[in-house]
Amino acid sequence: MSRGWAWGLSTAGVGAFFVILIGLPFWWVLSSAFKAPQEIIARRPTMVPESFTLQHFEKLLSASAYPTYLANSMLVATAATLITLVLALPAAYAFFRMDFPGRERLYRAILIAYAFPTVVVLIPLYGMFAAIGLVDSLVALIIVDVAFALPFSVWMLRSFLATVPKEIEEAAEIDGAGTLTLMVRIMLPLVAPGIASVGIFAFITSWTEYLFASVLIVSDSNRTIPVGFSGIIGQYQVDWGLLLAGSTLAILPVVALFALIGRWFVAGLTEGAVK
Amino acid sequence: MRHGGLLPLLLVGPALLFLAVVLGAPLVQAVVLSLEDVKVVGSEGSFVGGDNYVRLLEGGAFWGATLRSLVWVAGNAVLQTVLALAVALVLNERFRGVRIARTWVILSWIIPTVVVVMIWRWLFSNSGGMINPLLIGLGIVDRPIGFFSDPVSAMATLIFINSWRWFPFVALMMLAALMRIPDDLYEAARIDGASTMQRFFRITWPLLQPTLAVLAVVGTLLSFNVFDVIWLLTAGGPSAGTQTLPVLIYETAFKGYRLSEAATVSVLTSLLLMGFAVLATRVLGGAQR
Amino acid sequence: MRLMTTAVLAATALTAVTLVARPAAAQPVELMLWHMEQPPHRVARVQELINSFNAAHPDIVVTQEPQNWGEIYAKAPAAIAAGTGPDLLFAIPDFTPILKDIGALTSVADFVAELDAEHDFVDSTVAAYSYDGGVWAVPLYNMAMSLWYRKSVFEEAGIAVPTTWPEWKAAAEALSNDETWGIGLPANRQLYTDQTVYDFMVNNGASELYNEDGTIRFDNPQTVEAYDFYAQMQAMSPPDSTSWTWGEAEACFSSRACAMILQFTVITTYDTQAEGDPEDLGVAPIPHAEGQDESYTIAYPNAVMLLSQDEAKREAAETFIRYLLEPENYGRFLNMEPGLFMPVTADGATAESFWNDPLAQKYRSQIEVMIENAQNGMLFGFTSGRTFPSIAAISAQNILAETLQRIVVDGESPADAVAAGQARMMETIE
Repeated sequence: MSRGWAWGLSTAGVGAFFVILIGLPFWWVLSSAFKAPQEIIARRPTMVPESFTLQHFEKLLSASAYPTYLANSMLVATAATLITLVLALPAAYAFFRMDFPGRERLYRAILIAYAFPTVVVLIPLYGMFAAIGLVDSLVALIIVDVAFALPFSVWMLRSFLATVPKEIEEAAEIDGAGTLTLMVRIMLPLVAPGIASVGIFAFITSWTEYLFASVLIVSDSNRTIPVGFSGIIGQYQVDWGLLLAGSTLAILPVVALFALIGRWFVAGLTEGAVK
Repeated sequence: MRHGGLLPLLLVGPALLFLAVVLGAPLVQAVVLSLEDVKVVGSEGSFVGGDNYVRLLEGGAFWGATLRSLVWVAGNAVLQTVLALAVALVLNERFRGVRIARTWVILSWIIPTVVVVMIWRWLFSNSGGMINPLLIGLGIVDRPIGFFSDPVSAMATLIFINSWRWFPFVALMMLAALMRIPDDLYEAARIDGASTMQRFFRITWPLLQPTLAVLAVVGTLLSFNVFDVIWLLTAGGPSAGTQTLPVLIYETAFKGYRLSEAATVSVLTSLLLMGFAVLATRVLGGAQR
Repeated sequence: MRLMTTAVLAATALTAVTLVARPAAAQPVELMLWHMEQPPHRVARVQELINSFNAAHPDIVVTQEPQNWGEIYAKAPAAIAAGTGPDLLFAIPDFTPILKDIGALTSVADFVAELDAEHDFVDSTVAAYSYDGGVWAVPLYNMAMSLWYRKSVFEEAGIAVPTTWPEWKAAAEALSNDETWGIGLPANRQLYTDQTVYDFMVNNGASELYNEDGTIRFDNPQTVEAYDFYAQMQAMSPPDSTSWTWGEAEACFSSRACAMILQFTVITTYDTQAEGDPEDLGVAPIPHAEGQDESYTIAYPNAVMLLSQDEAKREAAETFIRYLLEPENYGRFLNMEPGLFMPVTADGATAESFWNDPLAQKYRSQIEVMIENAQNGMLFGFTSGRTFPSIAAISAQNILAETLQRIVVDGESPADAVAAGQARMMETIE
C-alpha cells in the first residue's frame, strides 16, 4: 500500500510518541534502580544516572524472599493457565461448534460471570477457603485466578474456533472420526495460536493479581510477587531505591518470558482476529 | 451441526460447575449477608430484611460511587480507544521493526499492577518524580502540580494510569481486526482516487465497528472492576473523589466495619453489571453467530 | 510451544525446590507472631531476638510473619474468624477494640500487673488498653511526633526554633521560596493526617473527642481554630501532600524540598538517604497556640495482643513477652528502628541495650528530645482516662483527616467542616 509522505511522517510521529509513552517510564525505573539514594529523590531528577550502586538490589535480596515470591508467582500463574485452558477449551468447543439444548442460556451464564465485581466474593470466598483449610495456600490463589480468567478465555476462544471452516469438520465426520478425535486431532492444531494467546492472557491475569493474594496469603514463604512487592513498600518510610530495585526484578522475569513467547501472543491474536 | 446426548454438557459442565462454586456460591452468601446486620467480619448478625437496601438507596454514598464508576468507565473507554486505535493504525503499517513493535507494545500490560502503581506514584510525586520537572522544563507549568490533590485531577490521573496499563492490550485486539480488512478494498479505493482520510473513514472505521462494539462491552466490564490501582494510589480520595463502587465495597467492609452494608452494595453492583452484561450479550451476539 | 513448555518446567522445578526447602514441623509449642513492622531492617532485628529466644527456650518456637497496616484491618478479623489467626499480634490502641468486639481477646490484666511490678509501665500506655473491665494488650513501645528541621537552614534564614503558632507560621513563610516548601503537612485521608491534625488540636486545648458520658464533643471552637490554622500552614506544603503518607513526608524532608515536617522520626532516612549529619538535624516540640503554656503531641503506645485460647500457647506467649521486656533485650527490640520506638517501662528507659546502638549513639541528643516530647503525648479517644472503644471506627475511617480534606480540597469553611465531622462521628458510633 503506498501512501503519501504526510501519512508516513505522521505515522512516525505517532509511533515515536508511543515509544516514549511506554518506554520512558521503564527507562526511568530501570536506570534509577542503580542510582544512589540521594540521586533518586533529588529535586532535579537525572535522565542518565550519575551514580552507580547495587546496594538496593543487595538490600532487596538480603531482606526479602524475593526469589521465593518469584517462584510462587510462576507456579500459581502456570497452574492457573493450564487449568484455565483445560476448562475453557472443551467448553468453548461445545459452545461454538456444537448445537445443544440450553446452549444460549449457559453461554450467557458464563458471560455474566465475567461481569462480576471481584471484591464482592472476597469475604465469602475467604470463609469457604478457611472451611476447607485452603487459607495461606497457593492452591486457593490458583482457584481464584482461574475463576477470573475463565469467562474471558472462553469468549476469546470463540473467534479462533469460528475461523475454522465447517467443511473441515464435515469432511472428518464423513471419514468416520468421532467428536473427540475431531477435537483433539483437527481442531486443536488449527487453533493452536489462539490457545497460546488465551494462555498468555490467563497467565498475565494471574501474574498481576493483587487483592486476593494480599488477603488469602499469610506467610512470607507463600507470597506472590505483587504481595511481596507491596510488602517492601513500607508504611513509615518509602525507600524508593528498594522499590525501584523490586520493580526491576518484578519486570525482568516476565519480560524475559515474553521475549520467548511474546510473538505467539501477537500472532495468535492477529490470526484469530476478534470479530 | 446438531449434537444430542451428553457430550456437549460434559464439555461445558466442568467450566460451569467451577464458576458456580467459586463465584456463584459466594454471591449467594453475599445476598444472605445483605439481609442481615453483620458489622465486623466474623461477628454474628441478625436478620433485618431489606433495611440495608432502603438505607443505601436513600443515602448519597451509593449513588455518588455509582456516578464516579460511570465517569471512571467512560474516561477509560475514551482514552483507551483513542490511544489503542492510534497504536493499532501505526502497527498495521509496514516498516522495519514492526514485528518487534507488535510484540513489545504490550510491555505495560504484562507487569504486576502493584508495580505499575508504584512506578507512577513515584513519577508523579514531588520528591524525585520525573513528571513535574519534565512539565516545568517544557514550559507547560511553572510550579510543581499535585496530580492527586483535587478530585478531578486525581480521577483524570488514575484514568491515565489505568489506561496506560490496558491500552496496548486493546490495541492488539484492534490490530487483529485491522489486519483482517482485505488490502483489495484499500487498493480499489485508491484507484477511485480516495484520499487517505477518505479511506480511513469509508473503509477502516466502518469495518472496525463490530470490534469496537465488542471491546466497548468487554472493556467496560474490565475497567469497572478495577480496584487495586485506585485503592493503592488514592484509596478513593481526595474527599472521596475517586471512590468507585468496588472501592466503596472494600472500604465499607474493611474500614467502616459494616460488612452487611458492603454486601448490599455488592449485590446492587452485581445487579447493575449483570443487567449491563445481559444487554451486552445482545451486542456480542450469542454463541450462534 | 516448546519454549513455553520449557518455561513451565523451569518454573515448576524452581517451586519444587522452595517447597522442599521448608523446615519440617517441630514438636515444641509453636507461636505465630504477626506484626506490622515491615521494613526489612526491623524484620531482621525481630528475627535476631526470636532466634536468641528460641535458642534459650527449646520448648517454644516463635515464628514471625510481618504484615501490612493497610491489609491487617481486613485480614486479622477474617483470619481469626477462620481460625487461622496468629497467637501474638501487635496493636495500636484503636485497633484493639475491633478484635475485642469479635470476642478474640481475653483480658491480660493479671499479666500486665505482674510486668508492671517488675518493670514499671508508663501509666498512660496501660490506660490506652484498659476499658470494659479488662486490660486487652501488653504495652511494648511508644511513639510520639516531633517537629523536624535542619539547624543550618534555620540559621541561614535567621529563624529561631518556633514555640508558638504565630512564630511557626512566620518561620514557614520565611522558609518558603522557589526551591523549598516552608513546611510539609499531609492532607490525605489516611492515618498520618489524622495524627498531624491531632497534633494541632492538642496544642489548642482540643484534645478531647468525647464528653465524659461518651457523647462526641469534636465540634467546638478550639477544634475549629486548630483546623483553620492547619489549613493555613498546609497551604505552604507541596501540592502532592493530599496523597502523602509518612514516607512521602520523610522523602520531602530528606531531599531538602520541605524545610520542616511533623514526624515520629526521620533519623534512619536522614542517615541513609540524606546528609546524615547529626550536628545539623534539629528536632523540637510541636509549637502550641498562643495562650497555651506547653507543647503537646500525639503519642502511640503500641502493644501486643494475645490471641490464642490454648493454655500452653498463652503461657508460651507470656514467656516471650517477658523476654522482650527484660532490659538487656528490650533495648535491642526498641532499636529495630533507632529513635522511633521509645520505652514504655522505667527500667527500659535507662537500659544500656537501648543506648549502645550505633545509631542511637550518633543521634543521642535528638532521641533525648523525642523521649521528652513523648512525656506530653496524647492519643485521640484515649485521653483523660476516658476510653471509648467506639474510637476504633472513627479512627479506621480517618474522620479527622476527612474533615481536613473538606477544608483543603473542597474549600469548606473550618466551622462547617468540623460540624460535618461531628455528624460523621456520631453516625459512625451509633
